[in-house]
Amino acid sequence: MWVGTIINGVLLGGLYGLFGVGLALVFGVTRIINIMHGEFIALSAFIALGIAMLSPQMHPLLLIVPVVVISFGLGYALQAMFVNRAMRLPDPLAPLLLTFGLSVIVRNLMVELFGVNPRSIHQSDFAQLSINPFGIPIGVLPLATLALAALLFVALQFVLRRTEIGRIVRATADNSEVVRLMGVRPSSVYNIVMGLSFALAGIAGLMLALRTTFTPFSGVERLLISFEVVVLGGLGSFWGAMLGGIVLGVAQLVGLRLNPNSGFLYGNLVFFAFVMLRPNGLFGVRQ
Amino acid sequence: MLLKVTNLDAFHGNLQALHSVSIDVDAGESIALVGANGAGKTTFLKCVAGLIEHKRGAIAFAGKDISHAPAEAVARLGIALTPEGRMLFPSLNVEENLQMGGLTRRPGCWNLQRIYQLFPLLAERRLQMPNTLSGGQQGLVAIGRALMANPRLLLCDEISLGLAPVAVDLIYASFATIRTEGTAIVLVEQNVKRASSASHRIYCLLEGRVTLERGSRDVEADELARAYFGT
Amino acid sequence: MKRLSSPIVTLVAFAAGSAIAPWFVGDRGVSLLSEGLLMLAMAQLWNLLAGYTGLVSMGLQCFVGLGGYTTIFASNYFSISPYWALSLAPIVCGLIGGVSAVFLFRLRDAYFSISTWVFSEVIAVVVLMTPGLGYVTGMTLETARGIDFETFLLVNFWITAAIAGASVLGIYLLMHSRLGLSMTSVRDDEIAATSIGVNVWCNRFIAYVAAAAGCGLAGGVSFMGALFITVTTAFDLNWVVAMIFIVIIGGIGTLEGPIIGTVIYYGIRELFTGVFALSGTWYLIALGTVAVITMLIAPAGIWPLIRDRFAIEWLSVKRKVPYLYACEADATRKSPIPHEQSYFV
Repeated sequence: MWVGTIINGVLLGGLYGLFGVGLALVFGVTRIINIMHGEFIALSAFIALGIAMLSPQMHPLLLIVPVVVISFGLGYALQAMFVNRAMRLPDPLAPLLLTFGLSVIVRNLMVELFGVNPRSIHQSDFAQLSINPFGIPIGVLPLATLALAALLFVALQFVLRRTEIGRIVRATADNSEVVRLMGVRPSSVYNIVMGLSFALAGIAGLMLALRTTFTPFSGVERLLISFEVVVLGGLGSFWGAMLGGIVLGVAQLVGLRLNPNSGFLYGNLVFFAFVMLRPNGLFGVRQ
Repeated sequence: MLLKVTNLDAFHGNLQALHSVSIDVDAGESIALVGANGAGKTTFLKCVAGLIEHKRGAIAFAGKDISHAPAEAVARLGIALTPEGRMLFPSLNVEENLQMGGLTRRPGCWNLQRIYQLFPLLAERRLQMPNTLSGGQQGLVAIGRALMANPRLLLCDEISLGLAPVAVDLIYASFATIRTEGTAIVLVEQNVKRASSASHRIYCLLEGRVTLERGSRDVEADELARAYFGT
Repeated sequence: MKRLSSPIVTLVAFAAGSAIAPWFVGDRGVSLLSEGLLMLAMAQLWNLLAGYTGLVSMGLQCFVGLGGYTTIFASNYFSISPYWALSLAPIVCGLIGGVSAVFLFRLRDAYFSISTWVFSEVIAVVVLMTPGLGYVTGMTLETARGIDFETFLLVNFWITAAIAGASVLGIYLLMHSRLGLSMTSVRDDEIAATSIGVNVWCNRFIAYVAAAAGCGLAGGVSFMGALFITVTTAFDLNWVVAMIFIVIIGGIGTLEGPIIGTVIYYGIRELFTGVFALSGTWYLIALGTVAVITMLIAPAGIWPLIRDRFAIEWLSVKRKVPYLYACEADATRKSPIPHEQSYFV
């Protein structure tokens, strides 16, 4: 049933969008391609696993709270201690390599600490639930993921468009020198943005962990998808990232239906096609 | 003396842009700073605003030494700069740009309402994006944004550059109102006539050095030309 | 600035050293040196793209893999000596590189970089699904049966040394040519370059095809030496990751940078896995730490740090302009001051 495939593709797209939205935020504001992003998806999965083991009664979705808090803190700290320093020079390659170096360290520390065996979170049977509208099986978890992604996206848009902190973030992204004339420290803004970005990656990691098994490499495996989602949507656009995620999700599942051994080929091909047609992404801002 | 700059040297990389510049501004005074392109006028303003780190010399504001203060701190002390080219935030609409100006929450008479009173044009366009405004209108937003900080010292970098005379008239008319509130102004301009007509005193820079300091009414044309272009 | 050694001396020393090295370092050493020299060549090519032309590629591993597959497949299928098959690798990769450039060059900056990675992934899956290339199990170099292994290793080593030397020499000469100057102008300011008549697209295209062909050749040699290729090892992202690491740590936009970067990369690896005998994760952690520390202290790379601190020049591609009025010339004293005009980092 193709309808079922497409619906599930859309739901998968919710997860992909979730992967990308944190990355889009960071790039939109700091112009850094944050290679650490993938590791935080994986790390959050392990953090969630740890908390889940400590309190087995907790409903899996409630794990979001501690995961978000811890991720925000880590992201804030990493930006404040390391990335801000590398951003002193206008060359974008220095922060790129810095985030790359940090990602290698984090990933391999995870390997040393947790080993390479696949893990999963077994909290209740939540992950197995599914509903059957019109005879099409739809997992409750993927549906919750999409709903969560949409909710986060709306919340992010609201914060950015309607609040003072959102104004400050947008202004800093526009012109980090002029914003200093208004008493804003750009590095403080970057700290918050990175923290927020990692919190979003954390949620993505949690939803991933609830849905499938994961290893310390689960992040870097999803890094390309995260990038594709962001680029497809247009760097810095959240609408675009969500839409990009859905496009890739559908392409992926349709492709797997056509050729079960193709891996992520169809997702990649669709990415290419879109990016050729719209070199600045779906909603990209010309740089 | 509200602003006292003494023997300021400033550098862009290895290039020395300012040599021993000394300029004073009293409270409520209006100073014109003129000079050709590259004379160092923008560099001077940026130094006072705290945007340039590589500098030597003393900058005192209301008795406080701000020679090493970062821009964020200088803004809180009451110095506002309208940068060259206006530099409005393109992702923010007019009202949001103005609100950014008021971020430091300094006490004073300027708020959104008063800015809209001063520039009714902006009230009509409060939700428009800066790229849909004319150059003159953008200039008004830039000044409004600076005023929202209730500054004691307003630095204007080439505010009339590239604007139609009608727009420039509107902007300069607002300076009279601004001055009645007691704000000191430093006007950087290439158009000497405009600048001197709106100021008490005039300084001229040439290749990073002060070549003239006169009362605006006392300055003579050929003397100024010599100071502006060099011999 | 003191001249450390002229480029000619370096070249001669390198050639001589490569010729006699095998008798001093043993089999293990030869193997390591081959690997290192190939990596150096690939890093120089990545540097050509990113440091000199402004194209940050995350997809050069595509050509490494294609070069390897071309070499092994051609050698097996046409029953020719692998050395002859090797010559096909740069041709095939240059062609594919050229074709891909036509559509990849429509993209900018981060869009371009990500798309090169995606392109590589797509090619990897295509190769995986193509019949005759071994699918998941990969291919072995059949024609290697019966070759004297000792000689094979030796010849391989000298080929890698030649490739590494050629890459450094080639880029050195390129940067001293008009083409090199126009390439750097493109890197520095695309719009300004166009306005003075530099064909931006052409410059980038030439660099990209050269990098593709070069990586193809390097990949061919590497997998020829390994006698075995699979899609996973061929199109491994770690190829380009190593290139990026080596170039940025060493100093992007300089010729000496990748040399230093390669030494550091393999130095750390051998130190941790050999001397300290720790697992692979620890040497990777060390690499990551070096990357982080270097970016915090010396964002331009280690070579510029050494060069500026000790005022040394080695394989500099700086151009000398004889007389230039110093910008700081006093208004009353306009004396000519000899000035080195640097067009590069």
